[in-house]
Amino acid sequence: MKPLLRALAAFFRADMATMLQYRGESVLWAVWGIVYPAVAMAMWQAAANDPADGSRVGAFGRGGFAAYFLLSMIVGHLTTAWSAYEMGYFVRHGTYSTWLLQPLLPIWRSAAGNVAWKLFTTVILAPLWLFVALWARPHFDLDALHVVAGVASVLLAMAIAFVWDYIVALAAFWTTRTDAIGELWFGGMLLFGGRLAPVELLPGPLYYLSYALPHQWSLGFPTEVLIGHASPERITSGLLWQALWLVGGLALFRFGWRVSIKRYSAVGA
Amino acid sequence: MLNATTMTRYLRLIRILLGVSLQNETAYRFDFLTKVAGSLLNVCGELFTLWAIFANARSLAGWGPYEVVVLLGVFRVMVGLVGMVIAPNMRAVMEDVRSGGLDHVLVKPVSAQFYASFRNWVLFRGLDGLMGAVMIIVGCTLLSARVSLATLALFAITIAAGAVIIYSFWLILATTTFWFTRIANIEMVFWNVFHAGRYPLEVYQPWVRWLLTFILPLAFLTTFPAQALVGRAGLATLLTSLTVAPAMFLLATAFWHFGLRRYSGASA
Repeated sequence: MKPLLRALAAFFRADMATMLQYRGESVLWAVWGIVYPAVAMAMWQAAANDPADGSRVGAFGRGGFAAYFLLSMIVGHLTTAWSAYEMGYFVRHGTYSTWLLQPLLPIWRSAAGNVAWKLFTTVILAPLWLFVALWARPHFDLDALHVVAGVASVLLAMAIAFVWDYIVALAAFWTTRTDAIGELWFGGMLLFGGRLAPVELLPGPLYYLSYALPHQWSLGFPTEVLIGHASPERITSGLLWQALWLVGGLALFRFGWRVSIKRYSAVGA
Repeated sequence: MLNATTMTRYLRLIRILLGVSLQNETAYRFDFLTKVAGSLLNVCGELFTLWAIFANARSLAGWGPYEVVVLLGVFRVMVGLVGMVIAPNMRAVMEDVRSGGLDHVLVKPVSAQFYASFRNWVLFRGLDGLMGAVMIIVGCTLLSARVSLATLALFAITIAAGAVIIYSFWLILATTTFWFTRIANIEMVFWNVFHAGRYPLEVYQPWVRWLLTFILPLAFLTTFPAQALVGRAGLATLLTSLTVAPAMFLLATAFWHFGLRRYSGASA
C-alpha cells in the first residue's frame, strides 16, 4: 500500500508541475465545460418561456433550469475523464510500453493525473461558477438529505466516469486509434448523461436507452440530487444504480484489462 | 486588378490545388471513413437533441421544429465550409508563421493571401455541406414553405455574407500569430463558441445576442441565413449582412498585410 501511495503522490506532483507550465492549455479545456452548459441553459430557459405552459417545461421553470445546468457545469467538471481520448496516442507513440514496464498498473497514473487536473482547474473555475450562479439566479430546493446524498453521489459519479472511460479506452489496444470512439463516448454524455437536458425530459426511447448506459449515473443523477430535484425514492434507487455501475465497471475493467493486455503489441518501441 | 485573365488564372490554380489535395486525401482512406462516420453521428446527435427539445416545448424562442432543422442545416453547411477550406488553410498559416514556412507562400507569383487561403482542401468535409443542404431542403419541405424567389435571393446573399465573415474572422485569428507565434488551441476555442450557433440567436439574453452579433459574429453565420429562408428576415438583416461582410473582409485583409510586415522569415 505504501509504495502505491508514494507513487501516486509522485505522479500527482509531476502532473501539477506540467499543468503549471502549460497553464493556458489546461484552462482552455476547462472553459469548454462552461460554454456548453451555459448554451444549454439559455436554450431550455427560452423553451420554458411560453406562458401557455405556465413558463415551465416538465417540472422545470427558468430557475430550475438555471440550477440544473449550473450544477451540471460543476458536476460535469468534477467527473471529467479523458483516457478514451488520449489512450490511442499513448499506444501509437509507444509511451504506454514504458508505463507497462513499471511495477504499477497504468490506470493509477491516469487516476492521479485526473485528480491533479481537477484540483488545479477547480481553483480557476470556482470564481466563474460563482459568476454564473449570481447571473443565472438558480432556484434550489435543498434539504440536508439532498446535500449528504448529493456529495456521496458525486463521489460515486467521479469513480464511475473514470472507470468506464478507461474501459472504453482499452479499445485502443485493438484499434490504436480511439479518437472516434472517444468522441462517441463523449457524445453519449451530452445526450444520455444529462448535459444537454435533464434525463427525465428525454423522449421515450432515448430515456430508456439512458438507463442502459452508465452516463446518467456519472452526471445527470448527482446533478438532480444536488439541486434538490430528486425525490427520496429516486435518491435511494439512484445510489443503488450507481453502486451497481461502479462494481460492474470495476469487474469489467479487471476482465477487460486481462484480455486487452494480451492484444497489446508495442508501437514505436 | 481583377480582369478576366487573372480571374481565369486564379480559378485554374484553385482547380489544380483541389486536385493535389484530393490525391493527398485518397492516401488515407481509413481515416476518411472514421471522419465520415463522425460527421453522421454529429448530425444524428443534433437531430436527437431537437427531438428532446420539441418533445417538451412547442417553440424555441418563437422558432418551430422545422425552422430549427433549417437552422441546423445552415450550421452544418458552415461546419463543412470551415472544415473543408478555411480551417485547414488557416491552421497551415499559423504553423508556417511559426516555422518560417510562410516563405514558400510569399515567393509564389500570386497574391499571398489568395494562395495562403486556398492551398489546402479537405474535400470529404464537403459531405457536411451536402448533409446541411439536405437538412435545409427537408426542413423547407416540411414547412411547406413559402419559399419564393425573393427569399431564395435573400438566403443566397446572407449565406454568402456569412461565408465571407467567417473567413475574415479566421484570417484575423491566424494573423495574430505574427505577434503571438503560438496561440495555444485557438481553434478549440473557436469550435466551442461556434456551437452556440446551433440555436437561434433569440434564445440568448440581449447582451449575449449583442456579443454574438458584433463581437463574435455568429449571428451572421447561422441565424440570419436561416431567418432569410423561413421568411423571418427583413430589410435590416439584408442591410447589416451587406455592410458587415465587406467591412470584415477589408479589415481582415488590411490586418493580414499589416501582420505580414512583421514577418521576418525562416531562421531569421
